[in-house]
Amino acid sequence: MNIKTFKDTFTRMYRNSTYRIWLWVLGFFTVLITFITYKCRKGKDAFAGVKTKVREELDAQNLKEKLLADAIIQVKKKNEYFRKTASDSDVEKEAKAIANKNFETILHDKAKEIAEMQNIKEITMASCYSDLMDNMLFRIISIVISLPMYIIMFLFTRPIAKYATERIFMMIFVLFGVVWLVFTILYIAPMDASKNILGPTATQDMIDSWKSMHGLDQPYLVQLFRTFKNLITFDLGNAYQDNAPVMEAIGSRFPITLQVTFWSMVVALVIAIPAGIISAIKPYTSFDYIAMFFALLGLSIPNFWLGLMMILLFAINLGLLPTSFDPNNWMTLIMPAFVVGTGMSASIARMTRSSMMEVKTSDYVLTARAKGLAENKVVLKHILGNAMIPIITTVGMSFGGLLGGASVTEKVFNINGIGSYIVDKQFIPDIPVVLGGVVYLSFVVSLANLVIDILYAVIDPRIKSKMKNY
Amino acid sequence: MAKVENQKNIDFYQKKVKNRKLGGSLEFTTSRFAYQLTSVLAIFLLLWQVVMPIAQGNAPSVIMIILTAVFAVEALLQMFVMKKIEKEVTGNEGQISDATRKLGVLLIICLVTGNLFMFIAGAMLVKKEKNLEYQLTIYSFLVTVLIIFVSFINLFKEAQVETFWLGIGLYVLYALLNLVILVAVNKYTFGKKPDKKFIPFAVISILGIALGNVFLFVLGLITIGKYRNKNEEVSVEWIDIIVRLFRNYTAVIGVLLVVFFISLSIGSNLTFDYDIAISNNFAARLAEPSLKYPFGCDEYGRCVFTRLVFGARISLIIGLISTIAPIIAGGLLGAMAGYFGGKIDNGIMRVLDVFNAVPSILLAIAIIAAFGVSTINLVLALSVSSIPGYARIVRAQVLGVSNQEFVEAAKACGAKNGTIIFRHIIPNSLAPVIVQATMGIGSAVLSTSSLSYLGLGVEPHVPEWGNVLKAGSTFLETNPYIAIFPGLAIILIVLAFNFFGDGLRDALDPKLK
Repeated sequence: MNIKTFKDTFTRMYRNSTYRIWLWVLGFFTVLITFITYKCRKGKDAFAGVKTKVREELDAQNLKEKLLADAIIQVKKKNEYFRKTASDSDVEKEAKAIANKNFETILHDKAKEIAEMQNIKEITMASCYSDLMDNMLFRIISIVISLPMYIIMFLFTRPIAKYATERIFMMIFVLFGVVWLVFTILYIAPMDASKNILGPTATQDMIDSWKSMHGLDQPYLVQLFRTFKNLITFDLGNAYQDNAPVMEAIGSRFPITLQVTFWSMVVALVIAIPAGIISAIKPYTSFDYIAMFFALLGLSIPNFWLGLMMILLFAINLGLLPTSFDPNNWMTLIMPAFVVGTGMSASIARMTRSSMMEVKTSDYVLTARAKGLAENKVVLKHILGNAMIPIITTVGMSFGGLLGGASVTEKVFNINGIGSYIVDKQFIPDIPVVLGGVVYLSFVVSLANLVIDILYAVIDPRIKSKMKNY
Repeated sequence: MAKVENQKNIDFYQKKVKNRKLGGSLEFTTSRFAYQLTSVLAIFLLLWQVVMPIAQGNAPSVIMIILTAVFAVEALLQMFVMKKIEKEVTGNEGQISDATRKLGVLLIICLVTGNLFMFIAGAMLVKKEKNLEYQLTIYSFLVTVLIIFVSFINLFKEAQVETFWLGIGLYVLYALLNLVILVAVNKYTFGKKPDKKFIPFAVISILGIALGNVFLFVLGLITIGKYRNKNEEVSVEWIDIIVRLFRNYTAVIGVLLVVFFISLSIGSNLTFDYDIAISNNFAARLAEPSLKYPFGCDEYGRCVFTRLVFGARISLIIGLISTIAPIIAGGLLGAMAGYFGGKIDNGIMRVLDVFNAVPSILLAIAIIAAFGVSTINLVLALSVSSIPGYARIVRAQVLGVSNQEFVEAAKACGAKNGTIIFRHIIPNSLAPVIVQATMGIGSAVLSTSSLSYLGLGVEPHVPEWGNVLKAGSTFLETNPYIAIFPGLAIILIVLAFNFFGDGLRDALDPKLK
């Protein structure tokens, strides 16, 4: 980055109101010095002189009165058209506002025109900054003191990095929202965990002391704030029931859930993508009808029922596979992965088919065929490649559903994952566990969505080129 | 070489023409489907009830052998008729001869064995000219007869509920009324416009909604709509949509199943005994499937079949409410966001982002964990977690619509925001929402059963399908049938809604197909 890029980036960022705030926050001293310089110089420079001259000139032409008369006619006509009645003073007020605005614009434009002819520049924050940046001493001090500002300026110049940063920022915001939402739901709940934990014989004193131990007697905002603080420090608190740290429990169970999810995804993609491709390339054939019927069937089968039926068939009747899950035995992973995977493959196959059918009739596919490209290449590169975006979206969305819906499958196959952990503890309800589990899964889902959004920008040339002007 | 290529092309196009002819013939599509399904059923019965017992060393029951034979004969008959239709449709005449049409009567008679698809095929074959009204009446008759059949299973029980014969009588009368309406349909509705004399029948048909018979209800609405349509040259749009929907046979089957479940959940109040579904009867504990208990009994001796029949009502109600509520809430939010844009849009969408970030089942679990297990909380949980989805669809749709000229025209004329939203934007952005809602009912039924399975759905004694399944899952090793049949019921209803939704999408937007 040379100095000119710094200057340009500063100009562009300062124009955007959100980024202006960030410049102030991250680079307070630099921006403050620039601001002071700007305030000192403003009104004393050559441009201000030109402006006063022009203003006198325009006043001499009675421009203000002319504009006001025009504006009054305009406002009156408008009211007449919409059949609105307004008092004269109202009309005049509105007209005056319009006239003043117009006058200022004309004045500024004229002044700028003249200034440009005389080679005089208007003083702005950006021009002050670029003047200051020419000073070697300021440059070094500024970079040292306001390093965060320069980092964000650097990100701003890279479209994809800028997009990713904005998305990550949004994600953090959303996560706080999720914590607030789930916490509030659990806070206003009529269910009382203390009775379930201390037992029916607990006295009021015991309940009170238990509540104060967990800080449940504090007001809503204090508790909410504590939860936020816990989130920032990655400490999800201790479970009510066994006082074990929730973060540890989740940490030990999450890999299991992720493993099941990953293999389900593999199963789903292996089934869905080829089925979708063949259905789209040879539509309205027997294969298409049968595949799409099974896809619809896959959408309609409850996952847990399919799991039970597979247990019945493969584990109980045929004795081929073990019934319940064991992390050390990969055979036990087959059934869960298949059950979840088939359910997911249904929607992916349908999306693959419809998205490819849409692309199939495009002109560039015809061109590709006309220039004699091999059919495989046409299908895989031109049709599938361009139909990829909706497919990836579906995969990403079902990833979220998968992590959430895993709770049911985990229950069926006795998998000791995060979903079954939440379900087991929600009967109490063990608030730190439910809160922590839901927030953790939401975090993973958001992260997956973020990765997919960035992936779009990387794989799709259309989005990539749009990004350049982002 | 060129000759071979040429011949190949000719074959390809001739095949295409043939397929198009066959696909356009309602007689052929219904026959083919009836043939496929009947033969699958016959083979399934043969394997499951005849071959499997023999393999295990037991003698198969006589009833099952007869049943298998009947279905096999039916499949052969249907195949014969189908081949004949195929030959005649693709032949020189291109039309089905009267002799073949008379065979339809044979197919209609097969309804006695419960083969509804052959009945449909027969009814479509017998008559040469079929309009939408004719089809609707046939389907409505079919649903009524099916309800009577299902109710008759109660005859094998020791005692019937007091209102049983009242209910059966009512339904028989209703079936007869259906036949009368069928005659009237044949006589009055085949012109460009329905005859004035049909209007009383139309009114009677609309009243059919009281028994859950949506087909007759739609028939009444259509005939009245056509009658009131002043300009005969222009067709009514919503009637066109229904016509397109009924051209798609899979969608029709979906609708048929949905209407059957709705009618059954209303009719079961008269002909089924709610006591058998909820009260314990330890004499019949874990009874095997038999004519008395078609799907067996659970651990408390409750008849699973009766529980499933009553469960249809609960599942449908939960599905409906937890689809309609989020549509209203999400629709309003989405419409506001899309129409006003700017800060309102940003605010609403950021809040919905938060809701969207939590996987829907988890949000439902959190809500139920907080408020306790009950049906109302379940509906609340399901509704809240599906609001963002609908809001998103409506917003995207509204964004597209509100940039169009007619909205600009309305704004220029000085229409109020409310008028523009409710009169112009919402009706024009409804189509994807309707499709999504149809599928949404199905997925709400799925979510309900999943949550019930986790013990988070409705109260355990309520005969909801997920509950029945959960009760059965503990006896998977010894009595698997308790878990199998509820699952099949869930699949059937969700599949029906999915078929319906798919058909509706094609009907609403012919461009998409």
